[in-house]
Amino acid sequence: MPNDTSTMHGGSARRSPEANSRLRAPARWRGISETALARLFLAPSITVMVLVVVFPILYALVTSLNAYTRRQREGFAGLDNYVEVLSSGVFWQALSFTAVFTVTSVGLEFIIGLGFALIMNRALRGRGIVRATILIPWIIPTVMAGQMWAFMFNITPGSINGLLGLGDFNWLGQSGWAAGTVIIADVWKTAPFAALLLLAGLQTIPSEMYESAKVDGATSIQRFWYITLPLLRPAILVALLFRTVDALRVYDLPEVMTGGAFGTESLSMLVQQYIVETPDPGVGSALSTLTFMLVLAIGVIFVRAIGSHLVFGERSR
Amino acid sequence: MTTQTAHARTARQRPPRRIMDARWSVLLGIVFVWCLAPFFWLVMTSFKRGDRALNDPDLFQGPFGLDNYIAVLGQGFLLNMRNSLVVATMTTVVCTIIGALAAYAIARLPLKRRVLWLSGVLAASLFPPVSLVPPLYEVWRSIGLLNTWEGLYVSYVSFSLPLTIFILTTFFAAIPSELEEAAKIDGATPLQAFRKVILPLAGPGLFSAAIITFVTSWNEFLLASTFAPRNAEVAQTVPVAIAAFTGAVEFQRPIGTITAASVMVTIPMVILALVLQRRIVSGLTAGAVKG
Repeated sequence: MPNDTSTMHGGSARRSPEANSRLRAPARWRGISETALARLFLAPSITVMVLVVVFPILYALVTSLNAYTRRQREGFAGLDNYVEVLSSGVFWQALSFTAVFTVTSVGLEFIIGLGFALIMNRALRGRGIVRATILIPWIIPTVMAGQMWAFMFNITPGSINGLLGLGDFNWLGQSGWAAGTVIIADVWKTAPFAALLLLAGLQTIPSEMYESAKVDGATSIQRFWYITLPLLRPAILVALLFRTVDALRVYDLPEVMTGGAFGTESLSMLVQQYIVETPDPGVGSALSTLTFMLVLAIGVIFVRAIGSHLVFGERSR
Repeated sequence: MTTQTAHARTARQRPPRRIMDARWSVLLGIVFVWCLAPFFWLVMTSFKRGDRALNDPDLFQGPFGLDNYIAVLGQGFLLNMRNSLVVATMTTVVCTIIGALAAYAIARLPLKRRVLWLSGVLAASLFPPVSLVPPLYEVWRSIGLLNTWEGLYVSYVSFSLPLTIFILTTFFAAIPSELEEAAKIDGATPLQAFRKVILPLAGPGLFSAAIITFVTSWNEFLLASTFAPRNAEVAQTVPVAIAAFTGAVEFQRPIGTITAASVMVTIPMVILALVLQRRIVSGLTAGAVKG
């Protein structure tokens, strides 16, 4: 570590001629104030997000308040579309699948991902191979992973049935089990991503803490429980936040694996169905706005739990 | 109470080294099987020839051959890979650059209501992508971005920005502010302090964020299938192409071609993971500075 700081100072010393040439850059760059710089730095991100995200949100909000027949606007509908959505059985069915899917898959992904992160963080020979292996499921595109698992669970060729000696057990063709296969595929595919987010947190825990705990005679379980977990709290919450909101909007995997049959239709699939297949953009937009509000509410809970001081350190207080 | 259990555990002996090693090997074995068994299935299936072999649960049931790969290449799959590569690379470059700027502004620069900015960025990312499709489709059509690389990566950038900004904000916030202050005392402008002091230290964080962005856009299906559904020559990406695959022979189930295409896509990514894992993970400098 002292080595790092010294190379850094060395680096800046070496760079100083270049820095001098920088000073001859246009005057407005030289004297730009920090506040102006902050606005300048935020501008590109805000612009892109307003164009691609904020505009469609407002568009959906307006659409959801209008009545449509065969894509033709019929007039203002107030909250009729919302009432229609909330009183339809399909919505509650999709909501319950989405909820079950989210809780189960995020829970499993967190546990497995934490295990992966601890393994990846450990120094040992062949670490590169281990890390790359763990990351492989994550880099396979979701559509492919979905098709792969669907083929493996399918009756023909029946690879998983063959392995488990289950004969012609129809995983994808009955309710309950179909949801289970989608969850298994998602856990396999996404646990490495949770691991990566957690690993970033593990890396920031100074190794001195473990060493002094070792000197004090703490076992590895104690070190995990009293050092790793508390210090990992921000990374855990971030990983759970991003995985939860992603899982709540799951689309690709059930679409590819079951097409939404046998109680595996997610909220996003329902939205897609209303917006693209059933020509009623009003109801579709009401559905997506409801989904958004649900995800937003859960997101807010997480952001509260994360707390600004964990992100910004002491400065923000 | 918890401290008492802590003391009780301290008294217990650690298991001997050899048992630890054995446990570790078993654990690694499970990890390898869990991660790689489906991939092994993928590779074996991709080399099978004909319906009989493809429909046999026995992975070692031949005949084997390159038929599926030839069929995949015949459907212009290399062009799809090119499209995916261009779109994912452009997304990564643009997103990492503008995301880093925004994250630095939120984490470090004097900005009012920084928490509000960060929450706003996060909140915007919570809208279900499915419902972004119709309005965006209209906009993209009117400005001619359908079936183009730009149409895809501009939307991907905005989807990846929240996570990038979030990761980098925590990252920048962890770099001690003394470093910048020292640079400013030495006469650096705020921009120079960012470029010469903070950015080099944030290298590993930038790298992790960039990899995550790359993989996310490499995997994206919904927008790609709406904005560029056909035509490998133009902008159709890998996931869309695979979803549209037919078998090597007409009416054959596309299991062979899908697995072959998956292998072709996954191999370069596996090599990428092998080469880059050290940089994704390796001792994040922020932690080193803190310690």
